[in-house]
Amino acid sequence: MNIIEAKNLTKHFDGVLAIDRLSFSVANGTITGIIGPNGSGKTTLTNILSGMIPKDNGMIIIDGVALERLKSYDARRYGIARTFQNVRVFEQMSVLDNLLVVVTERNVWGALFERHGEYHRARVLEVLERIGLRDKQTALARTLSYGQRKLLEIGRALLTDARVYLFDEPFAGLFPEMAKLIVTIIHELKADGKTVILIEHNMELIRELCDTVIVMDSGRLLAEGAPKNVLKKREVLEAYLGE
Amino acid sequence: MSILPQLIINSIIAGATYTLITLGFNLAYGTTKFLNAVHGSLAAVAGYIVFFLGRSFGLSIVPSAALGIFGASVLGVVIWRLVFRPLRHRGASPAVLFLSSLGVFTMIQAVLAILFTSQFQQLGNVGSPRYEFFGAVITKPQVIIILAGIFIFATLFILLNKTMFGKAVKAIADDEEVARIIGIQTDSVTTLVFAISSGIAGLAGILIGIDIGIQPTMGLWVFLEGAISAIVGGIGNIYGGVLGSFLLGFAENFGIWKISGAWKPAIAFGILIVFLTLRPKGIVRN
Repeated sequence: MNIIEAKNLTKHFDGVLAIDRLSFSVANGTITGIIGPNGSGKTTLTNILSGMIPKDNGMIIIDGVALERLKSYDARRYGIARTFQNVRVFEQMSVLDNLLVVVTERNVWGALFERHGEYHRARVLEVLERIGLRDKQTALARTLSYGQRKLLEIGRALLTDARVYLFDEPFAGLFPEMAKLIVTIIHELKADGKTVILIEHNMELIRELCDTVIVMDSGRLLAEGAPKNVLKKREVLEAYLGE
Repeated sequence: MSILPQLIINSIIAGATYTLITLGFNLAYGTTKFLNAVHGSLAAVAGYIVFFLGRSFGLSIVPSAALGIFGASVLGVVIWRLVFRPLRHRGASPAVLFLSSLGVFTMIQAVLAILFTSQFQQLGNVGSPRYEFFGAVITKPQVIIILAGIFIFATLFILLNKTMFGKAVKAIADDEEVARIIGIQTDSVTTLVFAISSGIAGLAGILIGIDIGIQPTMGLWVFLEGAISAIVGGIGNIYGGVLGSFLLGFAENFGIWKISGAWKPAIAFGILIVFLTLRPKGIVRN
């Protein structure tokens, strides 16, 4: 069953076509890679799927529900979590608070008078352990290294208990140990039946991790299928690898 | 007798008054990122609610002050929902939001002048008790201003650091878009922030009214002192705002030791210019 379906998605920016009648589907519980040269529309697509920008035309269907307009505050409601190509953590807050804020009471009046309890802290500490930042919990997020900030962003996504995780270049600029940790997390998510959409330039990782790969070029779908088949296609090599 | 103790007490009173104004101002600025001139007029509105209830219904100061604070809070939320929120949703820049707040500010000031005339009005008893403190005199309303400043600061400190709401406010202040994506109800949180900050503005207006009186134009002074204290302290930072308030209070009062009190605003703006030139992010860089 497909958890995400996009039909004829289109997006312009000041007359420039960023997404051009793009249609694809993502099966539930799989890892799907999205690849393409710079400017091919990968991040625009992620922004549309997480509700950060509206589409111009087309349709998004999430778990069978067709959405006319997905807004950013709908993302969590529909079980979508994301990370960013340019890391966005809450810089002025501690590592612990960056994660605690995710498990905050949704009712504003409740949040006004409630403190985070042991249950919340236990959940956050478990995630901190998973992303290897437990000893950094009191540090301000802005003092973390680039890789640690990426891990913190992933930790924040994990705490949303999403069904779909959109990871925008999570391995870029990371030390091998950190990359290994993220690979493990992605495998664990799949084992838990979660869906991962991975924007990535590293073809080895795409081959290793992904069940399906979507290749984009100039906002259009160039190819779709299993990595071992798609990455051999001549048009993909020409467009993406410049071969 | 030395004038020094009185200057120190006056500086502390001024610092506490500016703290009350700046705390609410900074709380709202931290989450919405624009200078809201309406903050000043809400102080005036609360003062006039107390004045009206006292004059028309003979209501005593405590219940009328509670209604004044509530009224300022509700009006602040209404203005947020009808003016600023729709503008922000349309992507209005901070400059546009500031200009629109000046428009609302002018409108409120005009309505107050039409309803209550432009005359100066006193809230509460003028002959309030006076206390001597190391040779300096302080009135009961001034003691209440200092205590209110401490109370509001402590309450905001607990609210921002110990509650889930506080973490949500900080997250919105940091990156509103990401806060929305992780499921924080940014609209509701910001509305509540406006209610709290407007209520604090109302409290400041009432206490200023009891201490020195009210006028429809007082909102401009409240806004400017609040904005200057906030910018000097580090805009959007409530701790910086307190430092900025006391720096301003001491500088203004010690500055007029040997010269006319008419120079007070010049001292305040002089400090602002110095900070904008040499340390634009304020005392507490954020």
